Amino acid sequence: MSFEPIRKRAPARLGVLGVLMLVCCLGMAVVGLLALHDDAESDEDAGNKIVYGLTLNPSGFDPHIHLSNELGIPFYSVYDTLIYRHPQTMGFVPGLAETWTMADDGLAWTFSLRRDVTFHDGTRFDAAAVGANLNRIMDPEIGSQKARFLLGPYTGYEIVDEYTIRLSLSEPYAPLLDALSQVYLGIASPTALREQTKNSYQWHQVGTGPYKLVEFVPGDRIVLRRNEDYAWGPVFYAPASDQSVDTVEFRFYTDPPTRSLALEGGDVQMIGELLPTDAELLAGNTALRILRTPIAGTPQQFFINTRRAPTDEFMIRQALLYATNRTAISDAVFQGQSPVAYGPLVSVTPFYSPEVERLYPYDTGYARSLLEGLGYADTDADGILDLDGEPLALTMVFASWNQMADVAQLIQSQWRDLGIDLELIQVPDYPTLLEYANAGEYNLIGMYDFGVDASILDQFYRSDGARNWSGISDPELDGWLAEGIRQNADDARAQLYAAAQLRIMEQAVVLPIREYINLNGTSARLDGVIFSAQGWWPLLRNLQLTS
Amino acid sequence: MIAARTTNHRRRVAAGLLGLIVLLSILAPLLTGTDPRDATTGAELVSPSWQHLFGTDLLGRDVYSRTLYGGRRTLGVALLTVGVTLLPGLITGLAAGYFGGWIDRALMILMDALLAFPALLLALALVALLGSGAIQIALAVGIAGIPAYARVTRAAVLEARTRMFIEAARAAGAGPAGILWRHVLPTIAPPLLAFAGVMLSWAILNSAALMFLGYGGDLSAPDWGVMLADGRAAFRTAPWVATAPGAALSLTVLAINLLAGSLDSRPGRE
Repeated sequence: MSFEPIRKRAPARLGVLGVLMLVCCLGMAVVGLLALHDDAESDEDAGNKIVYGLTLNPSGFDPHIHLSNELGIPFYSVYDTLIYRHPQTMGFVPGLAETWTMADDGLAWTFSLRRDVTFHDGTRFDAAAVGANLNRIMDPEIGSQKARFLLGPYTGYEIVDEYTIRLSLSEPYAPLLDALSQVYLGIASPTALREQTKNSYQWHQVGTGPYKLVEFVPGDRIVLRRNEDYAWGPVFYAPASDQSVDTVEFRFYTDPPTRSLALEGGDVQMIGELLPTDAELLAGNTALRILRTPIAGTPQQFFINTRRAPTDEFMIRQALLYATNRTAISDAVFQGQSPVAYGPLVSVTPFYSPEVERLYPYDTGYARSLLEGLGYADTDADGILDLDGEPLALTMVFASWNQMADVAQLIQSQWRDLGIDLELIQVPDYPTLLEYANAGEYNLIGMYDFGVDASILDQFYRSDGARNWSGISDPELDGWLAEGIRQNADDARAQLYAAAQLRIMEQAVVLPIREYINLNGTSARLDGVIFSAQGWWPLLRNLQLTS
Repeated sequence: MIAARTTNHRRRVAAGLLGLIVLLSILAPLLTGTDPRDATTGAELVSPSWQHLFGTDLLGRDVYSRTLYGGRRTLGVALLTVGVTLLPGLITGLAAGYFGGWIDRALMILMDALLAFPALLLALALVALLGSGAIQIALAVGIAGIPAYARVTRAAVLEARTRMFIEAARAAGAGPAGILWRHVLPTIAPPLLAFAGVMLSWAILNSAALMFLGYGGDLSAPDWGVMLADGRAAFRTAPWVATAPGAALSLTVLAINLLAGSLDSRPGRE
């Protein structure tokens, strides 16, 4: 009898419960979705907008202080420099300075500045503004990591008149113009420098360039907007048009495999450092373009330690160079997208000497005979050569950048075939690498640097070089490199650097692997993609967004 | 009866699968003539073929050979990890559960404090402290697993302590060591063994995760975690590089979990 009401009520109760649960679940899902929904900033009046993917979140973005190449990707367009290098000819062209002259003794350079330039904050640009920037860079308090080093023997400046400034040097310094053409010596508004502290300035940077910094959310995004008043650009800057990009938003894609996905998915319209395998894959996509941009400076390379056994032995260093199949490395790791390197400079660098390409062809037979000549033989039949019971074991240290681990493993495999045992030590960052370098605990160590001027060799190969990690000490080489920065004539410099490059290779203190290529991907709608002479920094001014 | 039979059946399949994986790893040198570290020039990212059963990776190394040899390292590290977890975890749990009182409270406060950290985070912190390398990974993951094992052991001991025969042994004048060894341990062995299996699969996954993140030390040594990381970069063009170690990992963990599950429900225990 009492079954009826129960049977009737039970489903009803379940129904109420079910509805409640359903509502709860839906509610949670909605809350979840709301939480996940990234509230994009309003895009109204943004006009032509692109998103640009950065590949690294460097320790800082202040060009006067920090040294990452990545910071120049946005900020090369926020600042103007006194001088520019033309991206095609690599020659120097006027920037904020209209003309410049070097004193006969090479100890002073006078720059006449443009009179029609205004900073983004309305401050007038003049000689005093340049002076304020130089003061800041030289101030030990701000701890400049690169800009100060670029100025070399600079000692001070003198304001000749409102639009003329003279820089003094303690000795002739040919790379000065090259230094002044880099973003690290971009001219910032003296007003902004005064108003901000050393640390806070990087989030409120003000220059004279074609783009203004409008938003900087550390670790998340940097937003630039076009400077409508810009009319003082170098010759290679295109005039503004309807298709010019009004807003550029930079976002971070530090994990390499995510970059091609972001590009294909339309999250970014431009991004650098694609994985070579991905670049190959995207090549067939008509909505995208892949650009290979060579970067001047040193190649991806390993310094060979002359201060530690057994690489203190010249013939062993030579054998290592002969034993390395660089073409195979370039083909495998970089899908052949990156040219093989033969010397301490890459081929797009001015004063590169092709002479080095004759040296050290891949020749395992010769490498083996060099080692046998030293008395190495595999006496205990373990596959590793030994001498007086001591196996031929080497240590290689490198940081985890730019597929160094893949390169190192291939070298390890190639050398093992010859009976050389190579231990690989991968470190997470530059400070750790520096610890190994300072302790001298390596036979080979991976390091490279970028720059257009050949004087980039000094830090690595002068006996007193800050990063002379091969421990080379060659008085004649020291002389050439010292003269290379004193001489201002191109032909004299070319001769000195050719001799230096050849000597460095003859001494077998570096194992060059491949020239650095930045694999950029862009949307096919983006035209006018050009990079500065330094290779890393895009000319945002020239970008055109077609429909 | 039916339940027992399916359990039996499942256990046999799981044991067979696990045995096969272990056997393949041990017999790697017999099953492949290719050196897992040997990079063949010109044979990079080759898709699976008769010559390279699982294809080759970005550097031209044979994925089949690397998967077989990788099992040795991955399983070796996992066994070491479980060793590191089990002994201290067991001793802590036994002591806490049997003696109770302030010993129990002190030990459990310590274990709870450790449990408050996500295990992988704790392992990451430890590996940052110990440096990279297979042994260091085993130590880090092993230590991170101790609190969970101690907790489970303690719970089992607490339950066993109330049994009549243990009361009887104590009444008969047996010492704590004797009681623990002769009476408590055999009683709680099945659930602990089952949980050890869970710990093993957990150890495999976590050590593979640390290997994946690049804490394995020897870069070119084959290991499933390392291979997954290698394969990730080329996953769109060469999915086979990551597929083989991924499948190997999943199958191993599945087999261990099935086996561990069936250990706890041995027929006749009820």
